[in-house]
Amino acid sequence: MKSTVTNLNSGPPYIHDWRTSARAAWICSLTLLPIVVWSSFIYGHTAVAVWGVALASSLIAEAIASGLLRRWTLGDGSAVLTGLLVAATMPPGIPLYIPAVSVAFAILIVKTAFGGLGANWMNPALGGVAFAYANWPVAMREYVLPRLVSGVDGVSASTPLLFAKGLTGGLDIRVMDALRGSAYPLSDIDSMLTGLMNDQFFSRLGARLPDGYFDLVIGLKPGTLGESALLAVLAGSVVLIGLRLIKPLIPMSMLFVFAVLVRVFGTGLPGEAFLTGDVLFALSGGGIMFAAFYMASDPVSSPLGRLNSIVYGAAIGALSFIFRRWGSYSEGVTYAVLVMNVMVPFIEKSTLMVTRARGKVRVA
Amino acid sequence: MDRVGCMIRARGFKRGGVPVPHRVPFKSGPIENAFLPKNAVVMLKDTRDAVEPLPVVYVGQEVRESQLIAKSAGRGSSNVHSPIPGIVRRIESTRTPGGFESRAILISLEGSFSVLGKRPERYLWKSLNKADIAHIVQEKGIVRISTGEPLAEILAERVARPGFILVISALEMDPYRRTEEELLAIRPEDIIDGCAIAARMTLPSRILLAVDEQISAATVDRLQTVIAASELEIAIQPFKRRFPQDLIRQMAEALDIADPGTLFLLEPGTLIALHEAVVANKPHIEQYVYVGGGAIKHPAILKARIGAPIGDLIEECGGFSGHPDTIVIGGPLRGRAAADLDVSVTRTTRAVLALTAEETKSAPERGCVRCGDCLAVCPEGLDPHAIFKLLRAGRRAEAVVAGLDRCSLCGSCAYVCRSRIPLVQKFDVAKRNEELL
Repeated sequence: MKSTVTNLNSGPPYIHDWRTSARAAWICSLTLLPIVVWSSFIYGHTAVAVWGVALASSLIAEAIASGLLRRWTLGDGSAVLTGLLVAATMPPGIPLYIPAVSVAFAILIVKTAFGGLGANWMNPALGGVAFAYANWPVAMREYVLPRLVSGVDGVSASTPLLFAKGLTGGLDIRVMDALRGSAYPLSDIDSMLTGLMNDQFFSRLGARLPDGYFDLVIGLKPGTLGESALLAVLAGSVVLIGLRLIKPLIPMSMLFVFAVLVRVFGTGLPGEAFLTGDVLFALSGGGIMFAAFYMASDPVSSPLGRLNSIVYGAAIGALSFIFRRWGSYSEGVTYAVLVMNVMVPFIEKSTLMVTRARGKVRVA
Repeated sequence: MDRVGCMIRARGFKRGGVPVPHRVPFKSGPIENAFLPKNAVVMLKDTRDAVEPLPVVYVGQEVRESQLIAKSAGRGSSNVHSPIPGIVRRIESTRTPGGFESRAILISLEGSFSVLGKRPERYLWKSLNKADIAHIVQEKGIVRISTGEPLAEILAERVARPGFILVISALEMDPYRRTEEELLAIRPEDIIDGCAIAARMTLPSRILLAVDEQISAATVDRLQTVIAASELEIAIQPFKRRFPQDLIRQMAEALDIADPGTLFLLEPGTLIALHEAVVANKPHIEQYVYVGGGAIKHPAILKARIGAPIGDLIEECGGFSGHPDTIVIGGPLRGRAAADLDVSVTRTTRAVLALTAEETKSAPERGCVRCGDCLAVCPEGLDPHAIFKLLRAGRRAEAVVAGLDRCSLCGSCAYVCRSRIPLVQKFDVAKRNEELL
């Protein structure tokens, strides 16, 4: 009988789990697709252009990297994912050379220069974002109103977060009411949905949902592309955690710590006092959700092990809070993750020492 | 399939492991004898650690079936008998799938049969004394099919260290093999009888029958009847279906036993060999082999002669139905790839799997993405990622500190590795302290 076996020199095991690093990256990219579609819908061609340029730049940069490393790495999906993640942190209408250069920097310098996928000590996408913020701080914060709210393209406005920080209203009104009081734009969809919710549910409970939260959730507010579809981010997170493609402990502990700190200390917005911070507003703005599920939980630049993941996530949550509360920019979450990326070896070493010390006590 | 867990709680080891949710369907039925091979290549070493026995036949000699062809060379080696009647054609060194060299005796079929077709003899072993039984076990070259160790030796070791628990391990912790479960259903009398022989010799403090949590109620009923008739006290203990539950340390963990050394694992296949040696005077020349995998037309369990080429067995199962990506001897997680279809059955060949590419799910090796899955599944609680990194940096001593010597090479980490890093291969080589490939 003639042997037709092709795979001879491999070692055990001979069967594997369906998850591969390439598949994980591609699925992760796919979960971003709803965000791409929705943001393109509400912002129009300006959003399409940013996504398109970032994607093209990632493909070109990865092709160059493949050439330099002499191995074909486009198939591992990490380049496309990096491109999409960088684009997600940019406002629509940004000059297109910014996503192009940032993505190229992310892939060629942050990833490839350190040895390619798996060897980078910093999340390439975040490296690219930090690069963009450092180079073009003004352009990166030139936000526009979605076409769906203003009716026309390119009406610039500041994000609810920045706008609310600038308000000096009395401490007695909640942040959303303060925004309304200052004539911050509100979409028709929001007033309709909020009215419906208040009539149907909250009025019976004696509560009232202020206008504006629906705008935050469905992205009808000025902001980055990734912020535009909070629901899609949450759906994506369910997919990623359900398929066990990301470490769930990191976003969980990060959001938990962030929410608790916001609740206790507030983020310096009108209507917030000790123990009455507006968690809903804080979580639905500034891209914290996006960062939690798509950036902090990036496997390569996050620590291994349960305890490490919890410590890492909690630290990101705390730093994000500090940057949000006292920092000058609300996008501080990007930097919070970056700082902790750098701290990963330290975290891993310290927890190792703690567990070893505990192990010794148990033995003794 | 009823859950025996309703009666007794199924036990499982505490950390890590890979669940085996989907088993390849298997049609149970009587086990057929495989055709006698035209040429049998009898490997003198079953495992890497075994000591090679000394051939006692010469090229051109005519041998009968069951005739001694190689004699134990002392500790770690066992007698080898001719699986078929015929003429010794060659005695030469070959490379086994396990990657070690072994001498092999090639016998070509000729002459008449003495074992096959004859009614087996029936000795009433209860009249034999321990020394007689020990002699038979040694003489007939019985080995423990899971490890390849000579059964006579490990029985003697247990006699020297009393106070252990004898575990009949009928656990199948991969999606394919079903041999031990089938044997338990088909030949419970012989298995329990083999167990009685082993118990008589070693006097265990307790006997456990480890079964899968989803064993059929009918099998359990039948086993209980047989056990009751045997006058042995055997407790049936279900285990959760989670790889690698069948390893001794995971078994001990599941049973809340601190020292795995107090467990003595024997599989039904070994007990049947023991039973047949003592009762029917039959040497270890047959082996139950599960032949399956996605590329096999009709997966089946065959009673094959030692030395038969795996190609014959595959052909007997209808041949290939798809394109096999890998042919594996032993389990899919801990087995070894066969270089060709001429690899022969040994006393430790429990399964021959022809796996398709969809089953192997092999992918190009990439850099570690630090997903942490290997930490999560390691049943020993080790950090395979860190050990691998240390080994790659040539820091073997530090890898040992990190737990390399506790690694049982079960393969869980490499099974889940997203970047398809050959972790187990690296650990295997490093454990044997050889130069890296």
